[in-house]
Amino acid sequence: MGGFDFSNHNRNAALHAQGVPLPKATSTGTTIVGCIYDGGVVIAADTRATSGPIVADKNCEKLHFISPQIWCAGAGTAADTEFTTALISSNLELHSLSTGRRPRVVTVMTMLKQHLYRYQGHIGAYLVVAGCDPTGAHLFTVHAHGSTDKLPYVTMGSGSLAAMSVFETQWQRGLDREGAVKLCADAIQAGIWNDLGSGSNVDVCVITQEKTTLMRNYITPNERSKKLRNYRFQRGTTAVLNEKVMTKEDITKYVTVHELEDDKETAVAEKMDVDR
Amino acid sequence: MTSIGTGYDLDNSVFSPDGRNFQVEYAVKAVENGGTSIGIRCKDGVVLATEKLVTSKLMKAGANKRIATVDRNIGMVSAGLLPDGRYLVSRARQETASWRQIYKSPMPVASLAGRLGSFVQMFTMNGGLRPFGITAIVGGWDSEGDMAVDGQVGAGPSVGAGGKASGKKYGGPFLYMIEPSGLYWGYYGAATGKGRQAAKSELEKLDLSAGALSLEQGVKEAARIIYVAHEDSKDKEFELEMTWVSGLSGPTKGQHQEVPKELREEAERLAKKALEGDDEMEE
Amino acid sequence: MIQPTGMLGEDGIHVDMDHLKKGEVNLGTSIMAINFKDGVILGADSRTTTGSYIANRVTDKLTQVHDTIWCCRSGSAADTQAVADIVQYHLGMYGVENDEAPTTQTAAALFQEICYENKDNLSAGMIIAGYDQRHGGQVYSIPLGGSLHKQTYAIGGSGSTYIYGFCDANWKEGMTEEEGIDFVKRSLQEAIKWDGSSGGVIRMVVLTAKGAQRHLYLPDNGYTGPGYK
Repeated sequence: MGGFDFSNHNRNAALHAQGVPLPKATSTGTTIVGCIYDGGVVIAADTRATSGPIVADKNCEKLHFISPQIWCAGAGTAADTEFTTALISSNLELHSLSTGRRPRVVTVMTMLKQHLYRYQGHIGAYLVVAGCDPTGAHLFTVHAHGSTDKLPYVTMGSGSLAAMSVFETQWQRGLDREGAVKLCADAIQAGIWNDLGSGSNVDVCVITQEKTTLMRNYITPNERSKKLRNYRFQRGTTAVLNEKVMTKEDITKYVTVHELEDDKETAVAEKMDVDR
Repeated sequence: MTSIGTGYDLDNSVFSPDGRNFQVEYAVKAVENGGTSIGIRCKDGVVLATEKLVTSKLMKAGANKRIATVDRNIGMVSAGLLPDGRYLVSRARQETASWRQIYKSPMPVASLAGRLGSFVQMFTMNGGLRPFGITAIVGGWDSEGDMAVDGQVGAGPSVGAGGKASGKKYGGPFLYMIEPSGLYWGYYGAATGKGRQAAKSELEKLDLSAGALSLEQGVKEAARIIYVAHEDSKDKEFELEMTWVSGLSGPTKGQHQEVPKELREEAERLAKKALEGDDEMEE
Repeated sequence: MIQPTGMLGEDGIHVDMDHLKKGEVNLGTSIMAINFKDGVILGADSRTTTGSYIANRVTDKLTQVHDTIWCCRSGSAADTQAVADIVQYHLGMYGVENDEAPTTQTAAALFQEICYENKDNLSAGMIIAGYDQRHGGQVYSIPLGGSLHKQTYAIGGSGSTYIYGFCDANWKEGMTEEEGIDFVKRSLQEAIKWDGSSGGVIRMVVLTAKGAQRHLYLPDNGYTGPGYK
């Protein structure tokens, strides 16, 4: 049978009527900023990802690659910023190949705004677009509903108010590279310390006509310190009441056993970040 | 290959080795056999006239009009295959209607000519299509007045509109002719069909580019030229059909209309008299 | 719950000005455009808000859609930018296809069609002003429902409610450029003063036979300059 199946709609409506809320996406309560300086542009972001009150990732990446000299900082729904920037990056490369020219920042901004406008805010991507192209260094913000702004310094995300206060008090005309990087890092730190949704480290990306420098974990002000105590129980804390040894032959009755050579690991799971 | 011809004339999308499109040239032949149609761009309007050959005594006189109104301010006449002419008129009406829908104002004659030119040209490049068997003459008047946007609320203020550059004239009469190849030019006087050569030499005598000929004189000249062009096929009966379009202050108030019966009959009377006069001179 | 944009009550039509989506960027705005002796002047404040936060304090709400056809945007920033982008594209195409610059009427017609056909999905209040040699300066207003009004001057945005009286009392037909700029500036100053959603700098664009000229007036010096740059 072909056609669409709308039965889930009735189920969802019934669940909703019973007070079951819609599932929540991982939202990056975030601080992202950008700043133009003489000769280039800097963008920066914190590295905290949250899911409701839970910190979902302590060191996530919010600076997204668009093209070698155009990068994007993302706030809002993590999956949306990730996939939107990836999509535009892909389309931009095709565009660049077909025109035979280096991509422009306005092109990225226009593609993003038209994509986001089409989805009427349902794609929750709030972006800072920055980069260098043959027409110079550029900086834009793009809101989820598709509006854009062009400014010399910008902030977005839940920490944007804290970050903007840094820009509004310390920004000045004719910044150099060091000054712009410092200002952006300070603005992100204002978010990290004063905004609940932001935290962990500072990522910075500097783009000039010559090259792009991504400084992952440029500042790490929240390094985990050594625990003063450990909570491991000493050997023998638990009393042994009885003991039974099961041989390999015995267990073969219930399951299939494969012999492994000791030094040959078949799979390696990601090491967990746990107390030792 | 077939037993006759070179084969280069069978398909539209095929060039002959010396770079000709025979299908288009055959289409021009179809035009050359059609009744004569002319257009005159006068200083205050445009006249369209056609020699409607009477193909049957059983058809009602004055019925089955050949000159069509495309938009309120634009008329169109053609020589060649009649149904092809009707098809182009329907396309022209679609173009002007869609222009009105988008821009909320009448389509300039020049823009219509451009669109029709592109449309006709399209039929010379595609296999499976044949070119139009007509040459069309499009005449109209672009409004010289300030026009309101269709659908605006009220007429707007009577004041304002500061900074208008004075002394310049806008709008006016326009005349274009579109050939089967899609080629189109703007003209002061245009003629097509069987009697085009005679008509053209008569039009040239009028010195239209001087911009002195009035619309009313134009109507009379148009009637005379159709009569002159008909001289070579005197044995066939014909009806003269004429339309005109003037400016807002003229007799048609910017609209494309049939020339009133009295004026047409007067023009025909003068035309016949002029021809008789010619005959006398010759004698 | 989704509310329709306009509702017919017993006492007339009610238009919900606040039907922006959650978190949407709003141009709580004061905009205007006037006719004067030599053409038109457009003016706007520069405040863009998301809720109570000023997302941009130096916004440019005066948007060019052709050489001497501009518009003032109020309502949703995303909607008005999208509409202006579409119109800019069409006018650009018109210019090259017809070998002739589009008129202000053409621009107004395109704006109106988009605003009317999509009225249920748009919150865009726009003022279109343009200059061409044939028609001189012209001002058109397209309020929320998508109707089109030709006016000698038009005011719009949340701040405009405070200056209807001021504008009516001070309006003069056929002002000079200097008088026109002064009229726009004083009106917008008043709107900014009373409307919390309006503020920042005053931007203006003067459209005459000479082309487009931008003006800027800063609050730092009581909106006296720098003026024409």
